[in-house]
Amino acid sequence: MTFRSKLFWIFTLALVASVALIAAGVTIVTRQAFEQMYAQHTEALVSQFQREFDQRKQDVAHRVQMITDEQTTIQMAIALSRPQADPSVYVNDATGVSQSHQLDFLDFVGSDGAIISSAEYPERFGYKLDWLTQPVDWASLGSFLMKIETQNGPAIGLMGVSTVRVGDKNLYVVGGERLGKNFLGSLVLPAGMRALLYLNMDPNFQSINLLDQNGPVAEGDRFAKFINQERDTPAPEIFKIASGPDLARTEEFHALPLLGRRKELLGVLLVGSSRQEMVTIENRIRVLAESVVAIGLLLSLLLSWWGAARVTRPVRKLAVVAREVSEGNWNARVEEKGGGEIGQLARAFNQMTGQLKEQREHLVQAERVAAWRELARRLAHELKNPLFPLQTTVENLQRAKTKSPEQFEEVFRESTGILLAEIENLEKIIGRFSDFAKMPQPELAPVNLNEIVRGAVKLFEAQFSAVGRPPITPEFHLAEDLPLLQADAALLRRALENLILNAMDAMPAGGVLMLRTTREKGEIHLEVSDTGTGLTPEECERLFTPYYTTKHHGTGLGLAVVQSVVSDHGGRISVESEKGIGTSFHIYLPVKPGIRSAPAPAPVETPREILTVQKV
Amino acid sequence: MKQRLYLSAAAISLLLLAVVGARSARRPAYGGTLRVEISAAINSLDPAVAAASASEAEAKAEIDGLIYEHRNPNGTFAGISGSGPFHVAAWDPGKHVTLAANDDYSGGRPFVDSVDILMGRSLHDRLLDLEVNSTDFAEIPAEQARQAAVGGVRISASQPDRLLAIVFLAGRPAAQDQRVRQVVSECVDRSAIVDFILQKEGVPAGSLLPQWSNGTAYLFPTAADPVGAKALLAQIGGFHSLTLGYDSGDSFEKSVAERIAVDARAAGLTFSAQPMSPGNSAGLPDARLVRLSMISPEPQASLRNFLTTLVPMAGLDAVPLPANASIEQMYAAERGVIDTYRVVPLVWYPHVFGLSTRVMDWRAPAAGESWPFSDVWLDGLASDLSEKAEP
Repeated sequence: MTFRSKLFWIFTLALVASVALIAAGVTIVTRQAFEQMYAQHTEALVSQFQREFDQRKQDVAHRVQMITDEQTTIQMAIALSRPQADPSVYVNDATGVSQSHQLDFLDFVGSDGAIISSAEYPERFGYKLDWLTQPVDWASLGSFLMKIETQNGPAIGLMGVSTVRVGDKNLYVVGGERLGKNFLGSLVLPAGMRALLYLNMDPNFQSINLLDQNGPVAEGDRFAKFINQERDTPAPEIFKIASGPDLARTEEFHALPLLGRRKELLGVLLVGSSRQEMVTIENRIRVLAESVVAIGLLLSLLLSWWGAARVTRPVRKLAVVAREVSEGNWNARVEEKGGGEIGQLARAFNQMTGQLKEQREHLVQAERVAAWRELARRLAHELKNPLFPLQTTVENLQRAKTKSPEQFEEVFRESTGILLAEIENLEKIIGRFSDFAKMPQPELAPVNLNEIVRGAVKLFEAQFSAVGRPPITPEFHLAEDLPLLQADAALLRRALENLILNAMDAMPAGGVLMLRTTREKGEIHLEVSDTGTGLTPEECERLFTPYYTTKHHGTGLGLAVVQSVVSDHGGRISVESEKGIGTSFHIYLPVKPGIRSAPAPAPVETPREILTVQKV
Repeated sequence: MKQRLYLSAAAISLLLLAVVGARSARRPAYGGTLRVEISAAINSLDPAVAAASASEAEAKAEIDGLIYEHRNPNGTFAGISGSGPFHVAAWDPGKHVTLAANDDYSGGRPFVDSVDILMGRSLHDRLLDLEVNSTDFAEIPAEQARQAAVGGVRISASQPDRLLAIVFLAGRPAAQDQRVRQVVSECVDRSAIVDFILQKEGVPAGSLLPQWSNGTAYLFPTAADPVGAKALLAQIGGFHSLTLGYDSGDSFEKSVAERIAVDARAAGLTFSAQPMSPGNSAGLPDARLVRLSMISPEPQASLRNFLTTLVPMAGLDAVPLPANASIEQMYAAERGVIDTYRVVPLVWYPHVFGLSTRVMDWRAPAAGESWPFSDVWLDGLASDLSEKAEP
């Protein structure tokens, strides 16, 4: 991963984390605020409902009192106060009166507590309501909840009691409204709210007793747990009921226990408010937060990309210049901007490059001087050998002037022969140096390396099996699927001939010359191995140095020529050798070479334990 | 025969005027049309054709009694249509029938020339027409008699010759335990039914026959005994739930059934009222309310008729009763049925009629007797006065 990429991801992560944290924080705080607002709203609505309920209680008490105050009721009370009064005359009165006052329940009850007329249960006449004759100040009690027996079963009523007293006898008027679906439907509830009523008329929870304004509530069993809690410990409670996984369908209910006069639980009123609106708002905020995060993420990506590019631009330039320097462009320089760390780094890099260039020039100069010295030494050495016989021969000729003509003639003939031979030797020496100096640039053309290998070996076949010389056996391991090389066939053959000559010199006692070609990742690998005497590591290190040789008759230019040819074809050469075992030269040539304009030092791979070098 | 009249103040004034001021001038006179309204819709006057409902059968019997002279011992009619005091002059089935006086009637020609009967009239319409004197005769439910009299209607009631009873139907497993049936009999407050539902137009029934017919004592006490019933139920143990069927179109039966349910509940027994109608698919109840009318003032005939109806319904063994059964035989027959508690008599109550003020010489019919329209005559003066005195 590049420095820019690392910086990009670091910036991105930092920005994303920041945006996400801010969005989450805003969401949480907003949600809490909405929850608080919702709770306040619900409490206000519940309070409103309680006020409505209280108003309804007052209304019931008022209507019962109105019935009591009516003339017909007073006349009934007067008639019933008389001895031998006949209450059966009034048995049907309650039904009409209750309808005219819109009451669900109405009983006219005699002084002894016996029902005279009942609207909700007409056939219950004559039965006594003992609770009514107890000493209670009904006027101050107001309305209250109680369980009522009706023709269709028990019911819960919001009841009021009023009395008409004539003499020592009371006529009780008991009236009220049924707590049921009609009662729920008559309540004024704000939008989003609904009221449910559980009528506690059975020992266990019965979902059919849970009503809304349309009748029994669908899926009423969902409320069983909370209703049973209220039945165990009647107290205002708040609970939530979800309808499925959708949070918007969750309702919050305020459970209000409905207690009778004796604090018995008669019912549970559930004032529910939908969380739909709040959840909708929360969802909007969440979508907004997610959008902000998404936009923030996109912006952070762009900013990170831009920031990373801006920060790493000097470093990348530095890397580019460093690569140029590594490729030999010692004049490459980094732009020095600013006084920060990057600027200091650029200045240090330029300073370091300058020093390296200077040191390299010194080194090249030193190497050049050394090369010239080596050349002078080698020339002196090479020229010194033929010069001495020349000098001796010339001195012999000078001394032969004093001898007889026949003797002089003989000396002269021998001396001129020697002189010519030594001059020829000098020419050869000069020619070899001249050839090395005149290494031509390769002329590239498609060539088959295997054919070059076979041709070069064929040239030496006669010498491999020459009389009086131990035989050398060539072995070919040539890959037949080699592609054609873009190369100079003559130069390659010359380099190969030098390697074969070296191998022959390394195997005075005969041996095996192995030649192998293989294809390796866009390159062709040529291996030339012998089973000769091998080289030492020190010899391997200096093997490709011009004019270096381990042989008495060599000029030290053979492997230098080989290295030069390989380098000119964009390839590389290495050697591995083991003393007493043999030597292997490995040449790697690119299939499509980039020809080098100037010769460069070829990389020399680290030799194995023991290397031998044999020069042409 | 006992007859009671309920008269409003206006009616009493008119009668006093009629009696005091014009008595000598008002002799029975022939002529006029007696206007009658009934609730039932009669579809055939042929005695051989069965009526669709009990109310139609009852009304049909009354009209057949006017057009047929001969009546069978079982209360049905036979002979030639028109052999009675009237013959059918116009007939619109289910709506209207006009009976004309039979000049050749063996008992003498009726005073009125004709009787015009409107069928299918509601109680509200009948009461309204009686109050405004636009009809001369209409039958009124007993439980409405008191209210009608308060409204100014001239009321006439027969002896309490109609029995309302609970019959536990044969083959109903819930009613198999006699003690459960006894609980029902003991817990019912018959006095409350008479006083409140019937508005005192009736008497609690302690036997199959009313006391006035045979002069014997009740076979069981009619007062409710909720404590005893509760104790007996506790002794039986277990949970018992029964249904009591009643005619869904009869408000009187409905009220009685509901009251019995209340009394049973107070005793700890579930005895639910179940409306019954021809199209009702609620199933057969365990018991049902049954109304029976005496077909004759003679107790033997009426008892035999009751037993004929009740015994198979209750799944009892046949109780033979000779035509000239003695008091002891009748007692034994009654006892045999009552002691099973499969038939629980509740109340006796009368036929109640509303009359216009111009109907003269009216007497309430005896048990099993048809409406005595041949004996009444119409007083034109009374009619005129009554119209003037309309409230």
